[in-house]
Amino acid sequence: MAAALEFLGISKEYRSLPGRRRLIALDDFRVSVEAGEIFGFLGPNGAGKSTAMHLAMGFMRASRGGGRMLGYRFGHVKTRRRVGFLSENVALYYRNADFLVRFYGALNGMGGSHLARRAAEVLQLLGLQADAKRNVGKFSRGMLQRVGLAQALVNDPDLLILDEPTSALDPQARVLVRELLLSARAAGKTIFLSSHLLSEVELVCDRVAILNHGKLARVGRTGDLLKGAGQTEIVARNIAAGEFAGARAENGVVRFCVGQDVQRETFERIWKLGGEIVSANPATRSLEEIFLEVTTGNGKAAMPTSANAARGSA
Amino acid sequence: MKSMFLIAINYMREQRWPIFVLLLWILLLAFLGLVANIPREREELLFIFKQVAVYIVVFSIFFGGSAIYNERKTRRILAVLSKAVGRQQYLSGLVLGVTLASALFCISLGITGSWTLGPGGFPILQVWYLMVDVIAACMLAGTVALMFSTFLNPFFGASATAVMLLGIPAIASRVISPAWLNVLPVYSLTAGVMKASFGMPRGANGFVVALAVAETIAFWVLAARIFAYVDIAVAVE
Repeated sequence: MAAALEFLGISKEYRSLPGRRRLIALDDFRVSVEAGEIFGFLGPNGAGKSTAMHLAMGFMRASRGGGRMLGYRFGHVKTRRRVGFLSENVALYYRNADFLVRFYGALNGMGGSHLARRAAEVLQLLGLQADAKRNVGKFSRGMLQRVGLAQALVNDPDLLILDEPTSALDPQARVLVRELLLSARAAGKTIFLSSHLLSEVELVCDRVAILNHGKLARVGRTGDLLKGAGQTEIVARNIAAGEFAGARAENGVVRFCVGQDVQRETFERIWKLGGEIVSANPATRSLEEIFLEVTTGNGKAAMPTSANAARGSA
Repeated sequence: MKSMFLIAINYMREQRWPIFVLLLWILLLAFLGLVANIPREREELLFIFKQVAVYIVVFSIFFGGSAIYNERKTRRILAVLSKAVGRQQYLSGLVLGVTLASALFCISLGITGSWTLGPGGFPILQVWYLMVDVIAACMLAGTVALMFSTFLNPFFGASATAVMLLGIPAIASRVISPAWLNVLPVYSLTAGVMKASFGMPRGANGFVVALAVAETIAFWVLAARIFAYVDIAVAVE
């Protein structure tokens, strides 16, 4: 599948006055976002996520390296006609929402009845039809973020670059945006999404990259990342928690993880102890666990649940 | 082209309050024209007319000097430049916006000037020639300020513009030849307006106006070259 967005070893350094310390925001960053996927872009504050997005949009120049967006180098003006962008802090002119969406659509070369129709459509899609004639200066942050999304969607873009699109939204609006992203993917659009809401990312993203201190720390398919590395989570009853290392008793059952290579022996040991196996499933980890492991550099300390459980003693 | 006009019109709307304040000055001149005995108080009316004309040039520096800074500070520039709008187009829109705002004043001032100074004996055609001088001066001053605003804050940008537009012609005219006063003709165009009198209603010097237009284009190109290297997403200080 063709890449919709490629970061080809791109670096960005910020320097202030000569002699002052330089800050490396992005260091030899390489990632390829395939067409038609939702790509989650994670990292702690200051990791360089927004910088990477701004480089892709041509808002800033790379110190080294480059990249391609929809087949063209970063910053190519006409390519942006096929791109929708939402910045982290939505900043729009104080006009009514409908006018604003049409204004940004017109800047992208749209016009006439098509633009008017499309503006009404995206505002309705984002639940803003009733407020379309209100000045956005009087909008709440969540509503403003939805107008920001509307201006990013008005040109029906092939690639959406969204920097924390749901940070100010209420749960209802988050579900709306999630469904919108999924339907955009179904329509063949590519979405490059930065977010701190890891549960959201886990739900919608096909692949995820985690950035830490400007460097790519981990990248992979969401499902693969969430799989516990060769671990099986066993839930059993009628046994003492102390029989297996790392086991914990909760709600009348004992829960623990073992390596898949010792799974069979563990089952036999449970039966020998007179216990009963309730379930045995491949252990999964949450994205939050992986995120903390990658960004704090101390995975075990950061993983409070099943993935942290010790292997069985059998 | 369409984007450029959209940015220009949007810029004018954003500057509606300063524009409104300047239009009040013109309204004051119109009011004085209504209540004054024009033949007797024509010199006072001409003085206010010239004063308002100079204000327009000064305001165009402020308009140009703050345009990019404000957009970057509010981060509204990101949404605009995330569309298929090149930086050169964006700057063209701002130059056009500053020029349209100045032209709006000048047309209003020209109409009011014709109405108030005409009955006092000032040739109406000369009023409009003076307005052409003022528009040319505003275009150049606004574009130079815009160029500085690509990398300086409004205060330093406006200061640098003032130093450049007044300092360079002054030094060049002293060191090389008095004709070099026209090297950056904002001062000479404005001074020409200020020297206009009922006895000598000086018209626009076509060459100087053409020079101002040519320099406006040159500074616009220079501004675009500089702006192409600016990291616009970085917070302004």
